[in-house]
Amino acid sequence: MIKIYFLLLLAFSLNLAAQDDLLAELEATSLPATDYAFATWKGTKVVNLQTNELPGKGVLQYTILHRFGSFSDDFLYNFLGLDNAQVRLTLDYSPTEWLNLGMGHTGFLKTNDAFVKYRLARQSKGEKNMPFSITGFSSVYYSNQRYNDGLDRPNSARLSFVNELIIARKFNSNISAQIVPTLVHFNLVETPGDNNTVFALGLAARYKISKMHAITIEYVPQFNANSYPAAVLSDDPTTFSNALSIGMDIETGGHVFQLFITNARGVAEPFVFAQNTGSWLEGDLHFGFNISRVFTLKKDK
Amino acid sequence: MKKAILIVLGLALSLTASAQKLKTRTASVSFFSATPVENIDAMNKQVSSILNLENGQFAFLVPIKGFEFEKALMQEHFNENYLESDKFPTAKFTGLIADYEKINLEKNAKQTFNLTGTMIIHGESKEIEQEVMIIIENGKLRLKSNFNVMASDFGVEIPTAKADNISNSLAIKVDASYD
Repeated sequence: MIKIYFLLLLAFSLNLAAQDDLLAELEATSLPATDYAFATWKGTKVVNLQTNELPGKGVLQYTILHRFGSFSDDFLYNFLGLDNAQVRLTLDYSPTEWLNLGMGHTGFLKTNDAFVKYRLARQSKGEKNMPFSITGFSSVYYSNQRYNDGLDRPNSARLSFVNELIIARKFNSNISAQIVPTLVHFNLVETPGDNNTVFALGLAARYKISKMHAITIEYVPQFNANSYPAAVLSDDPTTFSNALSIGMDIETGGHVFQLFITNARGVAEPFVFAQNTGSWLEGDLHFGFNISRVFTLKKDK
Repeated sequence: MKKAILIVLGLALSLTASAQKLKTRTASVSFFSATPVENIDAMNKQVSSILNLENGQFAFLVPIKGFEFEKALMQEHFNENYLESDKFPTAKFTGLIADYEKINLEKNAKQTFNLTGTMIIHGESKEIEQEVMIIIENGKLRLKSNFNVMASDFGVEIPTAKADNISNSLAIKVDASYD
């Protein structure tokens, strides 16, 4: 008889445990979903490098990029460099989730550009496992600068190109990093001995210090850097510097503010990665900021 | 004696086997935040739920990343800054419907029930007492409920700078049609 009571008790306890079982049952039968990484970076740029992020579908993004004058160039007189800042403006739009199209203008060499950014793979786990996000970026630049030397050049001499392949990984909610094989091509270079195509490898990382703030660092070493001034003009040329930048991202809802110190002042990619004359060791440092604002034009409903 | 044991065992087995469990994977949960500056609403149609009519117990499982916003950036901030869905991927709600014996799938009806349970959002749990509407139509059961939750009850902090845009009190709507 005792055994029967025991079994009855068991039957009851089975029912009591049912509540947790329901949840376990739900978790077991939930759709096997792929979990995509998101917000690997706060913005579409680290400092000078692109990130793997694209603005959402139907989103128009406007960015304002400033690089102040050098610390070593009458810093206080020039209001911390503000008075001779280089400026770049861009406008881009994402017609789909994976494509972003944009254009920009940069004060340096009066350069206009058009760019396209496209998502190739997204970091994910679960049903579909992918350790990295891969994004491509291609752009073409046209310099409007007047030539003062009276020489005749074809229009194509004004063109330069940049391709970046952004391979990014969000390690956890605070740490993200990326490597960015980069190719910069100039249709016209100073001397026949210069490389028209310069290869570089961008490296970048971020660490979030709070939900709204992150520290970023970015370094873009070149493999075959050109020299300046052109060898025909100088016996003692130096190679163009690698861009190194340290910054902070501040997110405020629709805006991302990126404040940083960099040795690259050209703002647009070809000048930053392959024609950068600023050296950290010689104090050619610049305050800079990128500000982005997004507008949702097409609501996803 | 052996017979009695077998009978009780059989009874225990049949209790668990016959338990009438209703399920759905396509229940929806939406929330709405209203402030003078902006309204935010989000909808999640990937909610799963089980309702056990034998004992009145129920469970809801809500994948946080399933909430869809009209602005992509809002969705990103919701996941990254507020609900921290990497750390807390699901919200859970389990409990008991009082007077569950009155639920009769044979008869079309629309009735209000009280339920009590534990809601876990953002890793924080809270005891909840709530009214739900249960609609029976052609042998199918549909559960609907509207209620408010306070973000601060679940450790979701809205920074002062965002207080004009995001309300601490969120209006939640649940709609589950069981298979």
